[in-house]
Amino acid sequence: MSTLAGEFKSAYSAGSGDALAAVFTPIGTQNKPYRLQSFYDFTNAASLQKDLSFALFHGKSLKVPRAEQTAWVDIFAAYWEAVGELLKYEQDWPGASLVAIFTAWKKVANALIRGYSSSAGIPAWTLPCLYTVGKYLRTFAINADIKAAPQGASSFGFQDDVAADIEKNAHLEEAARIINRMFTLCLSDRAPMEESRKWGIYQTTNLIFKTYFRINSVGLTKNLLRAINAQSADLPPLEAFPKSHIVTFEYYVGVIHFLDENYAEAEKHLATAWSMCHRGASKNRELILTYLIPCHLVTTHTLPSDQLLAPFPRLEKLFRPLSNCIRKGDLVGFDKAMSAGEEEFVKRRIYLPLERGRDIALRNLFRKVFIVGGFEEAKEGQTSLRRTRVPVVEFAAALRIGTHATGRTRIDMDEVECLLSNLIYKGLMKGYIARERGIVVLSKNNSAFPGTGV
Amino acid sequence: MSNSTTQTKAEPSDQPQQQQKPQVLEEDDEFEDFPVEDWPQEEAEQAAGSAANGGNEHLWEESWDDDDAAEDFSKQLKEELKKVEAAH
Repeated sequence: MSTLAGEFKSAYSAGSGDALAAVFTPIGTQNKPYRLQSFYDFTNAASLQKDLSFALFHGKSLKVPRAEQTAWVDIFAAYWEAVGELLKYEQDWPGASLVAIFTAWKKVANALIRGYSSSAGIPAWTLPCLYTVGKYLRTFAINADIKAAPQGASSFGFQDDVAADIEKNAHLEEAARIINRMFTLCLSDRAPMEESRKWGIYQTTNLIFKTYFRINSVGLTKNLLRAINAQSADLPPLEAFPKSHIVTFEYYVGVIHFLDENYAEAEKHLATAWSMCHRGASKNRELILTYLIPCHLVTTHTLPSDQLLAPFPRLEKLFRPLSNCIRKGDLVGFDKAMSAGEEEFVKRRIYLPLERGRDIALRNLFRKVFIVGGFEEAKEGQTSLRRTRVPVVEFAAALRIGTHATGRTRIDMDEVECLLSNLIYKGLMKGYIARERGIVVLSKNNSAFPGTGV
Repeated sequence: MSNSTTQTKAEPSDQPQQQQKPQVLEEDDEFEDFPVEDWPQEEAEQAAGSAANGGNEHLWEESWDDDDAAEDFSKQLKEELKKVEAAH
């Protein structure tokens, strides 16, 4: 105990939330591998409260109000129980289980929430404790769910059975409710801003986001966002928060919009997350790009450069073949790349926006027809104009190239016209089809293929 | 992007794996906690200064290609055009 109590005292007197949170991190550290064991061995259930208050608050070193002292003792008591369960599990004691660890850790979370919300008034600078306890609550719930899942039942991987789904995540659902209380605890604090728990709002939100994503309840995130928006006038500006809070928050908000197929909004949030993300956090950078790249494709029709993909072999593999085919207007190659990556695309939920890349590939193919069509003879005193009346058969011929058609494959003119009108409808081409003459009349003045310079 | 990778990963494999190793805490596609809470903009992806006027222009490229192979394409197009016209 001496170690943990010492850690608590020095963290508290230094006013360091992070150091305090480290006390409640339920794992051995590199230089103190037995910190939990020694904490557990220092007392027993009978004299737990007494020993704790002596170890934590005896002497004059720490000035903490009486009510708050009691709250900390309660928290440590719950922590001691939970550590007991953890050690029992590690040492394979009979009766030890992952579910028991979760149940015990729930009590730590509840004691902590009580400490903040009651008159005990644990100060807001200690909020990192809440993040740490919440984080492990989620972790232990996930472990408990995995343990509780009937062996074999979930190994099929199909998740259509809603009842089984709920059962499967029972502990995590419970954790979500407790983390939700942590969120409310932060959002509803009315203390002056400099000592408000409102500073914990994004970090607790992030924790629920992660939890809801895990239990496939992304829809529930909307309630949180609504609650935050309703309070936005009372919240400090986003830039005032630590970057780790904001990057994570923006990432999840971006992905939420992404899943709603609201790509413009998604791009905004993901771009913010990207630009603020720490350069060393390569896993997170990769995740942000996984969604930002499809957004760019849909909204601005731009592709990731080699430079962007180079540090990420997995993204390179996901997006490089697709990008190359789009750029070349290679429709067959595009379809191949889509089906080669299908499993991964579906898993990452990026299949739909990527599929839209086929239109861009087709646009590029037809654009080439326009480019090789060259220029009309210039009228006097004018610059020469591109040939804007292009026979439909030329597009049909291009389609044969793009689809690697063999000698005997017929290309149906109706189909070509259909593809053309689809591109025109989507604003990727500008012009109209004059059917009776079998030509496409394209827009003049460098706007036949809007945004591409011609 | 070879077919062999698709085949080896054809079965939904996440869950049995998780059951074997309950100590694996994080799913592989979960956003990770940052080791530090905050950092100066210089350590961020888009360092201060370049942020103002879209410093990541070089990260995104146009989706079309005005390549030098236009002549090839032109030739190819003419050949295909003959085939299309012959068929109609």
